[in-house]
Amino acid sequence: MGHSQADVAASALIAGLACVEAASGAPTPVMTVLGIALFAAPGYLLGQVLIGSQVSGLERVAVITGLALAVPVLGGLLLYAAGIPLHREGWVGLLAVVTLAGDVALFLRRRAGRAAPFSWQPTWRVPRWQVAAFAAAVLVASGAVGLARIGVAMQPQPGFTQLWLSPQRSHGHALSLGVSNDQGRTTSYQLVLLRDGRVSATWDFTLDAGQTWRRSVPLTGAGTVAARLYRLPDLAHPYRYVSVTGISVPGS
Amino acid sequence: MTAARESIGGRLAVHSGQSSPADTLTARSRLPASVVALLAATGVLMAAAAYTAGRVGYVGPSWADRMYWAGQLLILTPVAARLLGRRALSASETVTMIVVLTVAEYLVRVCYSPAAFTYADELMHWRTATDVMQTGKLFSPNNLLPISPYYPGLEEVTTALASITGISVYTCGLIVAGVAHLLFVCVLFMLFRHVSGSHRVAGVALLIYASESLFQSFDSMFVYQTLALPFFGLALLATYRVAAPQATGRVGPGRAGWFAVAALAALATVVTHHVTSILLVGTLEVVTLGALLTRDRRLAAWASTLALVSAAALAAWIAFAAPSTPSYLQPVVTGALDSVRALLTGGHAGASPAVSAANGPAENQALAAAAVVIMSALVPVGWWQVWRRYRRQPWVVALAIGAVTWFVVVAVRLVVANGSELAGRASTFAFLPAGFIAALAVIRLTDNTLRSPTVRADVRRRAPVVVAGAVAAALVLVLNGLVNGWPPYWERLPGPFQVAGAERSVGPEQVASADWALAVLGPGNRFATDEGDLPVLGGYGDQTMVGEDGDLYTAPAVTPVAAELVQAQSIGYVLVDRRLSEMLPASGQYFPVDLNSGTYTRPLPLADLTKFDRVPGVSRIYDSGDIVVYDLQGSAFYGP
Repeated sequence: MGHSQADVAASALIAGLACVEAASGAPTPVMTVLGIALFAAPGYLLGQVLIGSQVSGLERVAVITGLALAVPVLGGLLLYAAGIPLHREGWVGLLAVVTLAGDVALFLRRRAGRAAPFSWQPTWRVPRWQVAAFAAAVLVASGAVGLARIGVAMQPQPGFTQLWLSPQRSHGHALSLGVSNDQGRTTSYQLVLLRDGRVSATWDFTLDAGQTWRRSVPLTGAGTVAARLYRLPDLAHPYRYVSVTGISVPGS
Repeated sequence: MTAARESIGGRLAVHSGQSSPADTLTARSRLPASVVALLAATGVLMAAAAYTAGRVGYVGPSWADRMYWAGQLLILTPVAARLLGRRALSASETVTMIVVLTVAEYLVRVCYSPAAFTYADELMHWRTATDVMQTGKLFSPNNLLPISPYYPGLEEVTTALASITGISVYTCGLIVAGVAHLLFVCVLFMLFRHVSGSHRVAGVALLIYASESLFQSFDSMFVYQTLALPFFGLALLATYRVAAPQATGRVGPGRAGWFAVAALAALATVVTHHVTSILLVGTLEVVTLGALLTRDRRLAAWASTLALVSAAALAAWIAFAAPSTPSYLQPVVTGALDSVRALLTGGHAGASPAVSAANGPAENQALAAAAVVIMSALVPVGWWQVWRRYRRQPWVVALAIGAVTWFVVVAVRLVVANGSELAGRASTFAFLPAGFIAALAVIRLTDNTLRSPTVRADVRRRAPVVVAGAVAAALVLVLNGLVNGWPPYWERLPGPFQVAGAERSVGPEQVASADWALAVLGPGNRFATDEGDLPVLGGYGDQTMVGEDGDLYTAPAVTPVAAELVQAQSIGYVLVDRRLSEMLPASGQYFPVDLNSGTYTRPLPLADLTKFDRVPGVSRIYDSGDIVVYDLQGSAFYGP
């Protein structure tokens, strides 16, 4: 086989490794690198089979990229039609099968002398200082995206607390009562549950930022169930308020 | 006529790498491509710094705003100067300029919302992609954009990449959209280079195409058209190749291979986006017409065959997979036709030109007018060039025919109700032929080698002025695309929350309420909401939005009109953002369908928004401070 089929061997190896990785699991960086390679392989092979070496440079890259994008579009339909879920295993299987089929087709075409052997001979030369300038451009652009992400993290956002009281979807005779702390810091609350205006239960709790408190409240009768949330130490003014009158089933 | 000039007008062997006179300028530029790339990257950094300044409070007419525009000029000016200058520019340098421009503008776009999708249409497709990831199935209902699941190409590619790499859907969406956008530009460059025989013409055509108002925004966002466009371009490029004379008699797949590429690209287009598919069929028909007019039977046969294949695939897809497509597109088509019909019969077009024209500050409208004038002047000059030099070139003739759509788009902008949006969407396609034809004009006006020897010496003296004028005109065109594109002028920089705005209406509290709705209420509940919360609640929350709900908010009590609205629309829940009583709507309208759009002078009364607290039977089921959700089911809105 020699070097003339090096790309066929490499792409077959990628397909095989991706299948093994999908079956056994691997660290995320390995998964990412293999995944990107597997995503690109069918496009490369289809490009070699369909247009061969008729074009070079940008046009070849463009056709290969376009075919790489078209494979999941059309292949996903086949998976769906075959009843195979479009999850990781399905996608890896699809791309591996197309890759191996492309390998076989390209191998046979080359054996028959109908396709050029693989070669890697970059013809362009870029002066070192230009390479350095391009590298600097990539660094500056990456820094720009990083700065933008820092900007999002720096953006002042007013904190808030969510309070809800809603019929549970899975249990029509119970209410879902919950509090979620998005104040950006640890906060203490007092939650008062009222049935027809009378205090039924009281909870005092402290939530870390991002933490949620939940309870299931039985729905008895057709009266009004309400909840007042106080943000401690202020017990004079309800911070949040919800109330449910009668029974209504969400999604109906 | 010189031999060189004949080579432009004659039928070209365009794959041989031969250059047209426009490509044979000798002196090298003192601004290398790598330096242009570095300047562009610096421009992106300045834009990102401006965005960060906006986020921490420096929004509006400030140094941050000026920094953003300085960054844009740093991106645009060197590229325009290199593409339009009189210094030698190789094919690879031309490609580099186009790639630098495209990537830089895409990165500016990414920097606007670098942590999550915030644009309404992106949230719609994020919803579909997330559904595919979670269910493993296609065609799950999307309550925000019901047609989206029936054209799942974008979501398939994105979820495939996310599934096999472990990268998030958001990051994969950015990668797919960016690659697709760049691929489209590169494919267009190759096509324009082939049909003109000049990489310089192709480069200038792409520079003009970059001035299309959606180039930097909608055409590079995570929306289905972004992926359909490179498939569209690839189908055309393969059509060119399959009919090209040099495809015969060569070892290898030849025509069959290119036909397969064209067919695959056409099928992928059909599965990915409805309008692009329709326009692919139309474009192939126009190419067929161009071939017939120039008596190129081979191209006519291949183009018409591929048009037939594309049309059959589209018809089959609509019939068996996406039957709702006609009803989705019908309102847009009939609305436009009604406006035109009304105009032709002397009636009202539905909106006065002043309303349907590009809104915004006077300087924005002046820029838009200048851009229209420049393009409208260039296209006829380009037609003249086509007649003089390219009238035997079928693809150029087809592009000349297609360039008529530029004037149609201008007319639509001026006379059709809501014509600005329709014209904006159409400009993605109208600018393809118009940009190419305008590029022929630009090259004619700036390239001294195309002039007769008697005037050449005189013009040479004025060359710097001519080039400077061309660069200035190009900047006007591209800046117009940015100024009057997306984001709108009132959200040029990211910043604090705005009521009924665009991406600045997507905040943590909105996202939290939408997540809560999906988790607690489940998907698909019929919600009334305002303009700003709609895409978040529909995207993250997967709820069904009712459009015409303004009367429900503005009624002071349970009026018969409000009750009728609730019952007619089967509204189950109302999301009330109390900030509607504190700020005027940034977009001019509080609600998705708002008859008072643009006329508000004061915020909505708080009492009208909180009336639901006093309506018998209404449950107040969610409260996060600014946002309250009411359950209307079984309430007085549905009768006593």
